[in-house]
Amino acid sequence: MKMEDMPLSGPDNTKLEALVNDIYSELVEDACLGLCFEVHRAVKQGYFFLDETDQESMKEFEIVDQPGVDIFGQVYNQWKNKECECPNCKRLIAASRFAPHLEKCLGMGRNSSRIANRRLASNNNTSKSESDQEDNDDLNDNDWSYGAEKRAKKRKSDKSQNSPRRSKTLKHKNGELGSSMSADPYKYNYNAGINYEMLGPDEVRSFLTTCGVISEHTKKMCTRSQRCPQHTDEQRMAVRVFLLGPSAPVLPEADSVAGPESFDIPDGQALMSRLQWEDSPEISPSDSASSKASTNHSDSRRPKKKKRPPLGLNSGGGIGSLSGGGGSGGSQTNISLSTKKKKPKLTAPSISSIYDDLN
Amino acid sequence: MVFINEKMNKESRLKATINQRLTELGERERLKELLRAKLTECGWKDQMKAHCKEVIREKGLEHVTVEDLVVEITPKGRALVPDSVKKELLQRIRAFLAQHAA
Repeated sequence: MKMEDMPLSGPDNTKLEALVNDIYSELVEDACLGLCFEVHRAVKQGYFFLDETDQESMKEFEIVDQPGVDIFGQVYNQWKNKECECPNCKRLIAASRFAPHLEKCLGMGRNSSRIANRRLASNNNTSKSESDQEDNDDLNDNDWSYGAEKRAKKRKSDKSQNSPRRSKTLKHKNGELGSSMSADPYKYNYNAGINYEMLGPDEVRSFLTTCGVISEHTKKMCTRSQRCPQHTDEQRMAVRVFLLGPSAPVLPEADSVAGPESFDIPDGQALMSRLQWEDSPEISPSDSASSKASTNHSDSRRPKKKKRPPLGLNSGGGIGSLSGGGGSGGSQTNISLSTKKKKPKLTAPSISSIYDDLN
Repeated sequence: MVFINEKMNKESRLKATINQRLTELGERERLKELLRAKLTECGWKDQMKAHCKEVIREKGLEHVTVEDLVVEITPKGRALVPDSVKKELLQRIRAFLAQHAA
């Protein structure tokens, strides 16, 4: 109550106060009158007593004001400790968990199918690797397993089979190699190790990027990168020699891996084109395109390499030849496959020898 | 007497001026709305309605008149206004006067 704002002097203040009170009274009376008119109209129009019913119902729905109970008389966590019997699995489930449980149990929720599939996949995996429980090292190895392959297949099944992006995914995901394309023809018999003759173009391509050392215990190839600490380069070399023949091209060395990352794509395409090429002298459009690209790349990369083969047909070429593609006519694209390989020991004649071996 | 009249005239003139100002500037309407809102908020309206019901039951539904209601309701209404509401309104009126009075 700030009186100091008043411009008028003492005796006027009371008058002012009186005035204020007068105004206030007027306002209050106005409000009361307003209410009276409202009520009177309601009475005369007949809707004044509409919110009331008979005494009995009024008593029934009276507001409850007891402790521990809401105004309707309901207890707060009445169903907290109750258990419900699931009609499907006949188990007793807590009330608050009942709805999600039903979702999973009946297989009708949004995630239920996903979870079930994942569970099945992991069950397959664990049952396969259970025999090797002793050696954790292998389990950590990120090994190829049939379950993973199936998973990868399933996940990638909707990708276009002909899209050039295949190679990209192969490069980035070491663990899920492109077995999506090689479905039936390239079966893996994991009891006896990998069926090496049947290595498809993708698996073969994977040698470019993965360690590939076959674990003694699980007979699976290591899917880690070329720098995997568990295996040495000699081991990798041995694997490649074993798989691809004595003239197998070398592993890329550690330093070179980091460099030509971009090579993979054109290389992959080149590989594919070579693999599909069956003695046809004609160069398909993809071939020429890829070869162009790869040759360009190889040219640009030339100064970086320590040792470069004259022909540049390295492990890529060797690997590619496995699937029986590319006849002797493969001249242009072959040259282009000089990627990360540093110790090239192949010469032109050896190329055809590799092909001959396979064919 | 002349002085008293003068004084009273002054007062009434002042009052008239103030009232006029209140209405002109829309302050009266605002104050009315404010009061109504506050009274509803604090439950005064429901209280008064309940009292009305009693009066109506007393007088009979068909025969109740506006006058009946006014006579019964207004004194009780005035008395039942909560102090906080009263204080706030007085404050606002005083502020208005301070701003716009001569």
